[in-house]
Amino acid sequence: MPVFKLILNGKPHQVDADPQMALLWVLRDLLQLTGTKYGCGLGVCGACTVHEDGIPVHSCQIPLSATSAKSYVTIEGLSAHGDHPCQKAWLEEDVSQCGYCQAGMIMQAAALLKTHPNPTDQDIDNEMSDHVCRCGTYQRMRRAIHRAAREVSKA
Amino acid sequence: MKATRRKFLKTTALAGTGLAIWLEIPKNAAGETATVFEPNAYISITPDNVVRLWMTRSEMGQGIRTTLPMMLLEELEASWSQVRLEQAMPGGRFKGIRLRTSGSGSTVETYGAMRKAGATAREMLIAAAAEKWKVAPASCHAREGTVIHDPSGRKLTYGELATVAARQNVPDKPPLKPAKDFRLIGTRVKRRDGAAIVTGAARYGLDVRVPGMLYAVMERCPVLGGKLTRFDAEKALAVPGVRHVAPIHSGIATGVAVVADHTWAAIKGREALHVEWDPGPNADFDSDRFLAQMESAVTQTGFPIRNDGDAPKAMAAAAKTLEATYEFPFQAHAPLETMNCTADVRPDSCEIWVPTQAPEVALSDTAKMLGLPEDSVKVHITLLGGGFGRRLFADYVPEAVELSRAIGKPVQLVWTRSDDMRHGFFHPSDIEHIAGGLDAGNNPVAWVQKSVGSDLSMFGLPSEQDKTDPKFYFNDGSPWGLFDIPYNFPHLKADYIPLNSPVPTGPWRAVMYPPTVFARESFLDEMAHAAGQDPLEFRLKLLQPGDVHMVGGAMIDRGRLAGVLRLAAEKSNWKQPLTGAKDRWWGRGIACNVYDSDTYVAQVAEVSVGREAHDIRVHRVVCAVDCGLVVNPAGLEGQAESAIIWGLSATLHGRIDFKNGGAVQENFTDFDVVRMHESPQVETYTVSSDHPPAGFGETAVPPIAPAVANAIFAATGKRLRRLPITAEKLKA
Repeated sequence: MPVFKLILNGKPHQVDADPQMALLWVLRDLLQLTGTKYGCGLGVCGACTVHEDGIPVHSCQIPLSATSAKSYVTIEGLSAHGDHPCQKAWLEEDVSQCGYCQAGMIMQAAALLKTHPNPTDQDIDNEMSDHVCRCGTYQRMRRAIHRAAREVSKA
Repeated sequence: MKATRRKFLKTTALAGTGLAIWLEIPKNAAGETATVFEPNAYISITPDNVVRLWMTRSEMGQGIRTTLPMMLLEELEASWSQVRLEQAMPGGRFKGIRLRTSGSGSTVETYGAMRKAGATAREMLIAAAAEKWKVAPASCHAREGTVIHDPSGRKLTYGELATVAARQNVPDKPPLKPAKDFRLIGTRVKRRDGAAIVTGAARYGLDVRVPGMLYAVMERCPVLGGKLTRFDAEKALAVPGVRHVAPIHSGIATGVAVVADHTWAAIKGREALHVEWDPGPNADFDSDRFLAQMESAVTQTGFPIRNDGDAPKAMAAAAKTLEATYEFPFQAHAPLETMNCTADVRPDSCEIWVPTQAPEVALSDTAKMLGLPEDSVKVHITLLGGGFGRRLFADYVPEAVELSRAIGKPVQLVWTRSDDMRHGFFHPSDIEHIAGGLDAGNNPVAWVQKSVGSDLSMFGLPSEQDKTDPKFYFNDGSPWGLFDIPYNFPHLKADYIPLNSPVPTGPWRAVMYPPTVFARESFLDEMAHAAGQDPLEFRLKLLQPGDVHMVGGAMIDRGRLAGVLRLAAEKSNWKQPLTGAKDRWWGRGIACNVYDSDTYVAQVAEVSVGREAHDIRVHRVVCAVDCGLVVNPAGLEGQAESAIIWGLSATLHGRIDFKNGGAVQENFTDFDVVRMHESPQVETYTVSSDHPPAGFGETAVPPIAPAVANAIFAATGKRLRRLPITAEKLKA
């Protein structure tokens, strides 16, 4: 099988697997990075969201063959000490319940703050509504995103 | 007394591991040489000053990994920083102690045990310090993980006292703090385990990784109750990474598992599999046809559940009567983490890792299946990526066990989303028919309700003998919300007509209340409008303060229900008309419920409907709660928000249809749920109460559907009685 070279959380990786294998399973089953979650397999729930060259993508929809020379960040690599403004704001706003969707949510929110440093509620609706949280923590996430934005703008 | 099935769900373990009375704590034999202080099964204190607390409930989002230590620490007087949480495992040390997580009971059921466990240890630590210092225990007190001798100010940490504490007598009735002295209970405590979640470190069932493990997915018969006849594994085995293909006969449906080096190859192998099925007797089952059958069944007599006064006579004499039929479709749980189990079966032992609400069942089923003593089976409970009642079933455990035994390796059996949505245990569909009568003064005088529902198949279906017992369904099984209609109608009749389908059914969040409460609270609204009265005032007339009665099999305090209705009305400015953008209709709706005698909830929903597109927006929900003493108000608010979003998903989107004997919906594409842009602001207010704590995880679900339906009526004058309520239905 061909070997694919990608950058993952800042480090080069070589993956020798089926070119069609979804990045989600590469991360979870081959590289043991289980923070990225499986939820739907169709790109409609957001649980598997990671950053591809800084852009949020559904890793269940990215074949390994499309990852060459690209740089990916997963929840494990979002910050060195779990102190990304979104992660901190998530704790402050006491967002998580079961927590299963939250890695995907945080990755989406972190990308949102890059493109919209001061997002409106409408921006948040637009960017976050691809995601499913069965515990219904949406309004707390909204507050956490606004809080993280305030922290980023202060810094 | 024979436990009813309702109580069975609430208080006992399914596996028959025995009743764990909430204050009964197995005592440890105090060994003279012990260096670990273990006054009971729940906790240990070691010389390194670490307090270990064994979690006797599964964490599935309800925040029990925060609430349980709160209750312990309140009495133990230790500090958060010294507490380590261990997940209890069924059997062994926890034999006879309930670990099942259900019925909104995580906090309520452990409240007494945790406080007693903490108080017991505290008293023994004080006794140990008193012995060391040769002073009277009464001259010492405990605080922040130390015992302090008050006259001298001497201090010893719990770690320093552990060895001596282990030799003290275990007090039978250690003094518990009076509520006025609580430092922790009743305060807002944020989730203690949030950091692991936001960094991706939290481990759910699907994140279990065991050396040498393989991954599997399973093709199950697409028709309910169908059977595997033959399969051809050749093409599946040709997929790179696929290692084994094996038939599976246990679990909810028979099928064929494909085992591979990783989940991806297993999924690809499954796609290449050729399987033939005997569809069996349900191949033409159709849920629309079944709903029509249910609707026809309202003419049947049914089982009498309530018969107060003489409702037929009162209806005949009423000045005004009205009637309506309400529909609730099948619903899936669809927790975001799909069902899964990792099993490692060895010749004389077995270990499993599973996100489950029912670990006792997982243990006993596995032991039975393998012919092993329960002591040879280890069940590790992982975090649950949502439970909602689906994980009260352990059907996905034997599949993995059977597979691991067949291949001789540890294996993680993964349900895909489509598997999860099509092969679950569903909330049964339901039809409610209600007739009401008003007298000449527009006072409500009669209520006649017929509920057509299904038995929850998790209980096993009723026997022929059960069916001949007219009392069989009273306060039991399915007709929740029917036997405990809280309103004081002078004449009230309620009957239950069970009609079962081949669809496996089980508890969903709020068990069986959602359909009955949707119908009841919608119809009260209809009666109020027919009487020309305010829906709040109409309800309050039927709920007099001080009116505490056994209603059906439940003790209902009508004054407490009136109290939450008034609170929700006050906080939502119920009396002021709701206005907003001119291109939309605006309205408020109110609804309430009593969850199993314990928890009183009222909600007001503020809704607008687009005049063009008829799109529905729920802007704000005010939720008023009386559930006795609140252990963690922050946790309660989170659960209220969560339950309301859950109920709103079913109100606006959710339904599972069955065609040709199988579920139609397969993913969040065709089973949509409320997302960010649809989620309302939720405000939660609690009634300060001296009542003991009552459950809350599910209890805010039932009122939201009728509150929204009533608000839509207030806004548009359209009454929608069949869930889900959609723009298309509003336009029609």
